[in-house]
Amino acid sequence: MEAGQRPEEPRSSAAPALEARSLTKRYGAVLACDSVDLSVRRGEIHAILGQNGAGKTTLMNMFLGLARPDSGEIFLHGRAVSIADPARAASLGLAMVHQHFSLVGPLPVWENLTLGEAGRIDKRRTVTRIREVASRYTLDVDPLAVVDDLTTGQRQRVEIVKCLMKDPEVFILDEPTSVLTARESIELFRVLRQVVRQEERAVILISHKLDEVLHATDRVSIMRQGRLVAERPTSGMSAQELARQMIGHDVSLRQVATAVGHLQVQPTEDSDATGPGASAPGGTTEQTTAGPPERSEIALSIRDATARGLDGRLLLDGLSLEVRRGEILGLAGVEGNGQKALGDLLSSVLTLDSGSVEVGGKSVDLKQPGSMGRSGVGVIPEDRRQSGCVLDMSVAENLMLCDFASVSSRGFVNHRRMLKEAARLVTDFDIVAPLLDAPLRSLSGGNQQRVVLARELSRSPDVLVAAQPTFGLDVAAVEYMGKRLREAARSGVAVLLISTELEEILDLADRIAVIHRGKIVGEMSRREADLERIGMMMGGQAA
Amino acid sequence: MSTVLPAPRATAPAGAAGDGSGVQPRGQWWTSPRFKTILLYVVSIAVGFGLSAVLVAVTHGSPSKVFTAMFDGSVRSWGSLGYTLDNMAPLLIVAAGTIVTVRAGFFNIGQEGQLTIGAMCAAFVALKVHPSGPLVLILALLAGTAGGAIWAGIVALLKFWRGVDVVISSLLLIFVAGQLLSYALSSPTFLQEHGSGGATLTESDQLSSKVQLPHIGQYPNFNFGTGLIIAVAVAVLLGTIATRTTWGYRLKVLGFNPVVARRIGVSAVLFGGAAIVISGACAGLAGSIMLTGQAYRITPTFSNNFGWNGLLVALVSRNRPAVAVPVAFLFGALQAGGGFLETTGVPTDLVNIVEALLVLAAVFPPALMALRRYRLKRSEQAVAAAEAS
Repeated sequence: MEAGQRPEEPRSSAAPALEARSLTKRYGAVLACDSVDLSVRRGEIHAILGQNGAGKTTLMNMFLGLARPDSGEIFLHGRAVSIADPARAASLGLAMVHQHFSLVGPLPVWENLTLGEAGRIDKRRTVTRIREVASRYTLDVDPLAVVDDLTTGQRQRVEIVKCLMKDPEVFILDEPTSVLTARESIELFRVLRQVVRQEERAVILISHKLDEVLHATDRVSIMRQGRLVAERPTSGMSAQELARQMIGHDVSLRQVATAVGHLQVQPTEDSDATGPGASAPGGTTEQTTAGPPERSEIALSIRDATARGLDGRLLLDGLSLEVRRGEILGLAGVEGNGQKALGDLLSSVLTLDSGSVEVGGKSVDLKQPGSMGRSGVGVIPEDRRQSGCVLDMSVAENLMLCDFASVSSRGFVNHRRMLKEAARLVTDFDIVAPLLDAPLRSLSGGNQQRVVLARELSRSPDVLVAAQPTFGLDVAAVEYMGKRLREAARSGVAVLLISTELEEILDLADRIAVIHRGKIVGEMSRREADLERIGMMMGGQAA
Repeated sequence: MSTVLPAPRATAPAGAAGDGSGVQPRGQWWTSPRFKTILLYVVSIAVGFGLSAVLVAVTHGSPSKVFTAMFDGSVRSWGSLGYTLDNMAPLLIVAAGTIVTVRAGFFNIGQEGQLTIGAMCAAFVALKVHPSGPLVLILALLAGTAGGAIWAGIVALLKFWRGVDVVISSLLLIFVAGQLLSYALSSPTFLQEHGSGGATLTESDQLSSKVQLPHIGQYPNFNFGTGLIIAVAVAVLLGTIATRTTWGYRLKVLGFNPVVARRIGVSAVLFGGAAIVISGACAGLAGSIMLTGQAYRITPTFSNNFGWNGLLVALVSRNRPAVAVPVAFLFGALQAGGGFLETTGVPTDLVNIVEALLVLAAVFPPALMALRRYRLKRSEQAVAAAEAS
């Protein structure tokens, strides 16, 4: 076995880097992993594809020592191992980049990366090492920056560097590109591939994005309802086939298109999804909305919005934007160009240095907490866990969060009426919530997002802001979100869709605006949308 | 224990994860969280008593006599039970106010000082306003409440105007309050006892019987001050406001997630400020009740840890108003028993240590559980990917 670890040894004959044999894990009545056999070879990027609740996370948690298998075995390089806790997993060379981050906000990057290390802290050495790792993998990370000042994408890069510094043999990435821009994703995969080949590591990529799986991985394992239903080489698979395996029945082209994500933008890949295997007529950018009446009234108008962050950085730089009733305005842009600030502004969390916001023709007092909500702006925020809901409060309370008054009389909340109202929303929005009094934390991410959506739509807003509404959701949830946004627009709501996923914008928006460095650099109707032009605008070039 | 619990909660699929009562795969009654909690309390309190007994024995005392005395002084007789209830009243009020603040996400720990200022204000009104009568008594209680509220208001002001940490400012203001009391007690204009001949540190005059809170029942039979009624009323009122009203719900949102609170129009300044002021007002009222119901005069060590112990009552009851009532009773009994113990000739220091050990025994389990929850949350964050993939 020792010889098997030499790089010269042909890979095919060596034992797999990581192997699971009939791993089973049960939680109460739920069989989270049902006798899963998986083998991940060294030098390959191995995708694990599956919907929410398919068992991917449970499987990974068993590899990482966060959950103990009920039965079955795990082998590392052919050797049976017992992974009792995360420390053991780390010492065995298993490391994971989580989808939600575990960084300490007020500390600089380099201090975050020394956490958990024994011995003396050597700033200069750590900083050098971070720079070295970051440059080797061409990840743009500033070791001296404070984590709180970083965008979500930058934070993920820090997480990735943190993981790579441990020199893992098996490197697990959970939805790594959901917060990366298209260019960054492509770069990440190019580097990952190179590194996997040269350094003999194995990479496990957990993903919802079919396109990413198709173009960046060597093998794919598909999980469905706790079972591993297929393990194949990726070459020769089509997006349609992957989606079918993942969902267990035929899916429409749009579902595939949305799930495929932004890598789809490359023209050569287009043929894969719309190729001969396509079962539904029409292209990936099929539009169902007839579009709003040309000159419907302006519901939301932002004028010359300028705002600076605490560090003096310009967040919004004279941004002006108008959204009309009944339309979906898609705001495209590379992450970190002011989208978060715009979302915060419309959530009355950010105040402006200059400029104004009008809703339905009336100016909004930005200094008042909750003024946007009162003026009729509903927001599905970018980070639902932090600013969309209160995870420690109950499902029912979260559904009524903005409007406790509607279920109370003379200031007293009527618990029964609250539950009744919540039950209605749960039914209307297909939320899977076993107990309305259980904390929101107990719901899956997709259902938490539906709670936010249900709450914001139930207030019948005039303007609905959806910031990265499908981040981290699976195919079915993405489809559902799209349907709801379209319905909202059709009923006369002005919808502002802020997304870094161009495909999502092309799929849903009637009009497209591009944000770059805190201002709008271009606008166009869906009909005249031209990928190349949008791409150039996103990159800050005049087009 | 700790290795078994976090995993299912962090990784269980939707629905299986509950609020600490997560489904255990092969659960026996002795592995249930509830049993573990009870066991933790029993062990902790047993250790508290054990250590106290050792300490008493080492200092050549008789543990059995000490514990019997504490029992006698707190609940054995009707008279001592009444004394326990009188001790419970201020503790309960302080705890009720503290719970409101903690629910809003702020941690005022300056009750000891707010209580002192409250008692001072009440004493000033009760001693200086003539002719004294029931109206003056009510006025004194109100003045005490207002005094505590203003003292806590400084904390709120510093927090929302200059961003000063609530814990720090409320803590430091305790010492300022102590100094103010010393000054007032040494100044004839304020509270210095008449005819004390300019001694540097004295106590105030005794309150006339007209401004003392009436007692129900007669010593040595069952009797208790009307302060207890006020205390229970305040606890019920604040408990109801905190858990049943829209104001309470919005306050809870602020406590859990200030960003969401701002989105839905809950102003941290208004709600948080109100919560801090309410807890100060409660501490002030507690001080006034101690003054008009038990002590009848104010002394340099008047507060006697009632502010701190009220804070601990809130901690032990884990911020549930209904639980605070029995916990406050327990702490009241401890204080009453300790007081009685001193009269039996046990040195004051030893009494304090025994009391502190028993308080520690009661505080340890909830503190440990809070720490565990915090750790669980951290590990949950690390594996929070569970939801989205």
